[in-house]
This record gives sequence, structure tokens and C-alpha cells, in this order.
Amino acid sequence: MNCVIEGNCVKAFGKAIHALSRIGDELWLDPMVKGLALRSVNSSHSAYGCFLFSPLFFQEYSFGSASKHGKETIKCKLLMKSVLPLFRCLTSIERSVERCRISVSTATDRVVIQFFCRHGIIKTHNMHFQESEALQAVFASHLCPNVLRAPARLLADMVMHFPPFQEEITLSITAMTVTLRNYQEGGKGHMKTLCTEMSLHPDEFDYFQIGLDSDITFCLKELRGILSFAEYHSLPVSIYLGAAGKPVCFSVDDMVLEGTVLLATLMDSESNDHSQPTEPRSPTTPRGVNSSAQAVDAFEGPSSMHHDIPAEMVASSQGSPVINSPNRMHQNMWPACLSLPGSACTSANTSPASTKICSLLFKAVSSKQDDGACAAQPPVLACYSDEENTDDNQPGSPSL
Amino acid sequence: MPLSTQSQSEDVQDVLVANLDNARSLSNILKAITCKDHAIFTATANGLKVTVEDCKCMQANAFIQADIFQEFTLKDDIVVFQINLTVLLDCLNIFGGTPAAGVSTALRMCYRGYGYPLTLFLEEGGVVTVCKINTSEPEEPIDFEFSSSNVTNKVILLSESLKEAFSELDLTSEVLEITMSPSQPYFRLSTFGNSGNAHYDYSKDSDMMELFQCNRTQTNRYKMSLLKPSTKALAISCKVSVRTDSRGVLSLQYLVRNDDGQICFVEYFCCPDEEVEEG
Repeated sequence: MNCVIEGNCVKAFGKAIHALSRIGDELWLDPMVKGLALRSVNSSHSAYGCFLFSPLFFQEYSFGSASKHGKETIKCKLLMKSVLPLFRCLTSIERSVERCRISVSTATDRVVIQFFCRHGIIKTHNMHFQESEALQAVFASHLCPNVLRAPARLLADMVMHFPPFQEEITLSITAMTVTLRNYQEGGKGHMKTLCTEMSLHPDEFDYFQIGLDSDITFCLKELRGILSFAEYHSLPVSIYLGAAGKPVCFSVDDMVLEGTVLLATLMDSESNDHSQPTEPRSPTTPRGVNSSAQAVDAFEGPSSMHHDIPAEMVASSQGSPVINSPNRMHQNMWPACLSLPGSACTSANTSPASTKICSLLFKAVSSKQDDGACAAQPPVLACYSDEENTDDNQPGSPSL
Repeated sequence: MPLSTQSQSEDVQDVLVANLDNARSLSNILKAITCKDHAIFTATANGLKVTVEDCKCMQANAFIQADIFQEFTLKDDIVVFQINLTVLLDCLNIFGGTPAAGVSTALRMCYRGYGYPLTLFLEEGGVVTVCKINTSEPEEPIDFEFSSSNVTNKVILLSESLKEAFSELDLTSEVLEITMSPSQPYFRLSTFGNSGNAHYDYSKDSDMMELFQCNRTQTNRYKMSLLKPSTKALAISCKVSVRTDSRGVLSLQYLVRNDDGQICFVEYFCCPDEEVEEG
């Protein structure tokens, strides 16, 4: 892989890395035909971020290297603490960097990041990388009942009111109003902390679609990165959300890049069923089977692109078991349910809820999922892609 | 003024008396060499030289010429003593590190000779503080035998181009490698850290390169821990000269302008960590 970023764009690239550094400690570099994807996931697998830079973003872009297996791409995993310092001071990058070259050298097992700066100064960084399976998340944004779009400034202004240490916030949406408030464990009645709540009228949004009243609670810290990115680029932010427990997606895009952050949301505490209500699900299941075949990925181009990408991940069970234990550990609070109806899993009742932590799980796609045996497995939001091409099972599955 | 009346009776006995209208002219430059507690003060007719050493292979010197001082009187040809530099700096900044605009701290330094403390009179806004700091037997500073005639390679760079490189240096690297060559890469700083290695290349045609005289390709490694303190000198300097001799000993000379525009020098010497094959 070899790409060259022209001066003005290096700062944008750096900003994307800053945004991803808010999410995880590792950075995946995934060069593809459709562009270079930078991805990160947090340690509890409840937050995933991806920035895709199309070939147009670069002055030069070539991915992969010819090999006897055909076009082979190297997917690298780097430590965020190795990469972030190179882009830490964005103002000095803006001031002095004329162009930046990023290449992957298989001969030396290094990712080479070179900054060609003013005054004839060249900075070269050769970094160790780990070759890694691709990390991707599946999220059917087009199936989300609620979609909002607002200028980054609006969201930044809302989020600004919460203190930096505020971990989680709750977004409530109804046809009449959108409310953001801080989340406190133990529910209301907790008198010791400052409660902040603000509401917006649907008119304040550039786009407002509501299919389902919902309250979702998610981690704020991981969101701040992409909001900062969006504000810098003056890009509107799209929010795709569903019921509590389903992941929420924040995304930005312009002509040459797309940024997405997927966050797990807290399961609705009132619903004590092991299963999600079956009524809403069964009608969707048959629809799901059909729609998955035609699914247009909000984040991808024509579906022909899919075949160039290593095996897609498969959505699994729709419902995740509710963890009823009153003593909730932080990890247990983040079950993520994929709202994508999977043809495989029709059974609502999954394995014993109390011991399973439902989160965004990353795993290789296995053939077991073909026959619907995934009921035994926790829901998966993002998977490692398998070497084999299994996307004939789920053609057109959206991926990020 | 309290300072001058006090001096009249002690004048006869002091071997060194130095007056500065602005103590920052001294404290700023001393901060640039503070990496160890103790420093050797050598006063000659030329002025004051303050020396700090580390591990017997790194030496930092600050030169404050006699004409920087408003008064610089020496009774002997040479006066040498050792003193705790950290304590001295604390005293020089006794009125606070950041002075109000237009206000400066006046300094009078007196030393009576071997065995006596160094006396500092500091005055700001009519308030006078007297500090007496114990001195000790000076150790012999290392003579690196670095002579201009033995210099193999020399470059002079504008400090601003190096400041960024030094601030970004990968500190997980144990060494800083300096390559100087008449051919590519001309002047290169390299680090070898946990995440990989990094190179900062300065072209000989760069407008940041004021002087480029490299005769032979030399690559030398120096312990990062010994060179990192030089960043403080770099920060206050406007130009730096980098020289290596045939043994690979490194000399960094920093040109520092003080508040009044007067010039002082800071110099770092460092022995190479290991011999690298010269290309």
C-alpha cells in the first residue's frame, strides 16, 4: 500500500486519528479498492470507529501488491500511542508539512509514514505493525427507525454542557422533542449529582425522522472525537438510532471521506424478558431475509464493491438477553443488539442471560452461522473477516 | 541603595563581585544547563563560566561574558567554587519566576574566597533579600580536548527547525543517533524506540541550514538521557552549531540572546555511546 496525502489534507487525516484515539488503543489500517479505512475499537468492544478516505482524498493512492494470489492487501494493526504522537500537533503540521506519504513495506515489516516539510526537512517514521484480520462492523443504518441530521455545531453545543468526566448520556427522542441528559446509575432520585438536561425541537435538525420513541444511553467520551472532527470540517452529523439496546451510529461524510462511530447502548431496564418482544420481530424477519439480499449499504457504493472486500460479517441474533442482575458491572451495562434482522436467527430465547455479556463482539465468520445456529452465540456487531469468501450467505450486507 | 552601602565594608575581602541589573540574564541561562544539582563556577577576567557534568561523559557550560554584568570585579586571576545550582536558581527567582512587566530583580553576587559562602543580594521594588549559599570544593571539570582544528563535521542550524524535532523525539529510544555527511542524508537525527525508528533529515540546501561543512560521513550515537537536557538550551537559543570531531565527541553550541539583546553561549559536550562503522 502506498499513498500520498497533500499538505492541506494531512491535518484532516490527523484529526481522524485523534477522533479514533478517543475510542481505542489500536489503529487498524485497511487499504481497499474504495479507499483507505482507519478503524479502532475499544477494549470492551462497545465502541467502534471508522474513517474511510476515498482514493480522491489522496494525491496518489495504490493499495495492495500483486502476488500469486492476485491482489493482496496488507491489513495492519498499529498501536495508537505510536501513531498519535506523529499527528499530535496539528497546527505545526498545518504550518510545515507539505505532503505525507504512508506506505506498508512487507519487506521490512514496517509501516512508513514520511512527512515532507518546508525548509527541506523530511521526517520518516518506520513503525512496527501487526498483520491482522480486518475489523469491520455491520450496521444497517437504513433499517433504523429514527434518523437525525444536524450541523456539527449544534451537537457540539449540546454536548459542551456536560462536564468532561460525564461518562454516559441519554438521548430521548419523540415526535415532539429530542432531549439529551446525563445518565446516572441508580436511576432518578439520586440527589447527589448535578443533572443536566436540554431539549431540542425537531425543527432544529436538518433532517428528522422518527419511527419509534426511544431513550438510548451511550458513552459520551467516545463520541467527542467524531464531533470534534465534524466541527472542524463543518460537516453535518447523521445519527441513526433505534430502541434502547440497539447500537447508535454517528456518521459524517463528504466527497472524499466518511467517518462513523458506532456505540453500544444500554439495554432498557424495564424490559425483563429474556427475549425481545416477538411481535415486532416476526414481521421483520421475513422482510429481513429479503432485505438483506437487497440491502443497500449506507456507507458503501454499489454492491459490486463487496466482492473486493474480504468476507463480510454476518449479523446474528436480534435480541440479546437482558441482564437482570441488580448489581450491574459496567461491562454488563452495554449489551449491543444488532438491529439488522438476520435470516439465521429466528429463535428469540438465547442462552442464559445472566452470565453473558452482550457487547460488540468481534469474531471470525464461521459456517455455523449459515444454519441459524448463531442463536447460541451472543449478538455480533462487528466481526473479523474470514479468509474465505462467505459473502454469498449475506450478499450486500452493509459494512463499515 | 542598600546594596552599594553594604558592599563598601566587604569590598576589600571579596575576590569576586558581580552586579546585574536584571538577574534574569543569569537565571535564564543557568536554567538551560540545569540537569544536575551541582555546578562549578569559574570566574575569570572574561566572565563567568558555569559547568554541569553528568556521568563523566556529558558536560554543559554556560558562558556569561564580563560585559553582560554592570560590574564584574575579580581580585584573583581565577576564582573557582562548586555550588548547588538548584538552590542558586531558587534564590535568583526568590521574588517569583515571572516578574511583572517592567520590573526586574537586581543582583549582587559576592564571594570572599575558599571556604566562604556565595552571598547574593537581590532587590526588587525596594525589598532586599540576602542569601548565603554554601560552596564546596570544586571537582576538576572534564577536559574533552575538543579542538576546532580536529572538527570533522560542522553545521549551523536555526534553532526553530530543531526545536520541533527535539520536542517530537521518541523518548523510548535509548540513543539519539546523529549522522553528518557530505552526501545524502546530509544531517540526520535518528531514534530507535519501542514502536520503531524515526529519522529527521535536514537537507544541506535547507534555508534553516546556515552553515554546512561536512567532510566525511560520520554516524554517532549518544545516550538520549544525556542529550535530552540540551532541549532547554535549544528552547532559549536562536542558533545552534553542531560539531563532531574525529573521535565522535559531540559539541553543541547555542547562541542565546537575553532580554537586553546581549549574547551569551551555552555549550554541550557529549561522548559517543558506541562507535558506529563510518561509511
